[in-house]
Amino acid sequence: MTEEFEQVALVHLDALYHVALRLTRNRAEAEDVVQETCLRAFRSFDRFNPGTNCRAWLFTILRNVFLNRVRTRGREVLEAEAGGLDQVEMTADTHVGGSPEEQLLQTVLHGDVDRALAALPLVFREAVMLVDIERLSYREVAEVIGCPIGTVMSRLSRGRALLRRALVRFAREHGYVKEAE
Amino acid sequence: MTCAEVRARLHAYVDGELSASDIAELDGHCVECQECAARVAAEHELRQLLRRQPRDAAPPELRARILHRVRREAAVATARRWLPVPALAAAAIVAALLLAARTPPPLIADLVDKHIAYAELERPGELVTSDPREVADWFRSRAGMRVTVPDYSPAGIHLTGARLAEAHERRAAYLLYEKGRTLLSVFMVPALAREADLPGRRVAYRDHEYVAYEHKGYRTISWSDGQTVYGLVSMLDYQALLECADRLRAERAQQTQL
Repeated sequence: MTEEFEQVALVHLDALYHVALRLTRNRAEAEDVVQETCLRAFRSFDRFNPGTNCRAWLFTILRNVFLNRVRTRGREVLEAEAGGLDQVEMTADTHVGGSPEEQLLQTVLHGDVDRALAALPLVFREAVMLVDIERLSYREVAEVIGCPIGTVMSRLSRGRALLRRALVRFAREHGYVKEAE
Repeated sequence: MTCAEVRARLHAYVDGELSASDIAELDGHCVECQECAARVAAEHELRQLLRRQPRDAAPPELRARILHRVRREAAVATARRWLPVPALAAAAIVAALLLAARTPPPLIADLVDKHIAYAELERPGELVTSDPREVADWFRSRAGMRVTVPDYSPAGIHLTGARLAEAHERRAAYLLYEKGRTLLSVFMVPALAREADLPGRRVAYRDHEYVAYEHKGYRTISWSDGQTVYGLVSMLDYQALLECADRLRAERAQQTQL
């Protein structure tokens, strides 16, 4: 079983670490979360359904390990950050395609994306990260987060809008003319 | 398709989550409407930007550490199978748990989702108290429910509150406990006739049988007394959960006799 686990699950170690890093925003914590996730996954690996997405299964465990740890430290996680933002309606003004602001996106630096993602409230950050960076389907993300697909979609569109706004602000700070390094 | 309809489907479109007919309609609209075409292009651009981000690889030491731990656990599990008789009871529990079915029944999966949803909240209880009697009174006056509120404090597991929850379209009593700050959820759900006997692999513990599932990284222990389905959900280990289950069962029996 160890060998199979290494071949099927541990090949996703980089992805797990990457997601953990985005969740915790701290390397030491990310390592702890990933290690605990892998051990938990190993112990219940016989219950993993081989036909399904192993990465999504691992992310589900990782997210729960993360939430549990954050609680353990007496820090609040999702509530205040979300603060009913799921209910916020998307409005037409979240972006206007083709405006000069859109062109600003092209001057964005890698560090800016990290900074903008890190500043995103957790509920939006995880939705954007799982879809845009980890390339999970809406259904898989709904399974990982444990919410309806509609909630994934609203968090995603809200998250992307907030991200875009932050990126545009950073690009302005760079003075627009600054080219990507 | 109108502009509003395009806007509503914008993200699903760039994420490849639309049906072929919706894609064709949306594409058709964008040929005519420059504004919508620009919106689509802008979403694509943001998505590409995110996908181009460099990714951190897991540090080699982390990989080595995990491999070492996993292999060591596997070795211990193999050794355990050959333990002499006295340790067999404990080993049998472990073995039975390892063989637990892959997918929990919907009710148990629902309880795990409830646990996760409330674990995300700072104060998940509607009633916040560490007094078992206050909780029992609250359920009685609030919902006419006769709820047993077990005392786990000798094991360092403390009552923090209670709430009413929906579980599978049934009103359930939900007790919240914490050990350190690891949550333990105790659910009591009115049993349907067919739930007198829960499906799943059974684990015997102190002369009673329980059903164990591990789901989404959480462990669950459940059983039914014909009238109520009891479900415990936590990241605590099975030994602790079984002990809590046994305690609840004993207190419930005592209360019913009174």
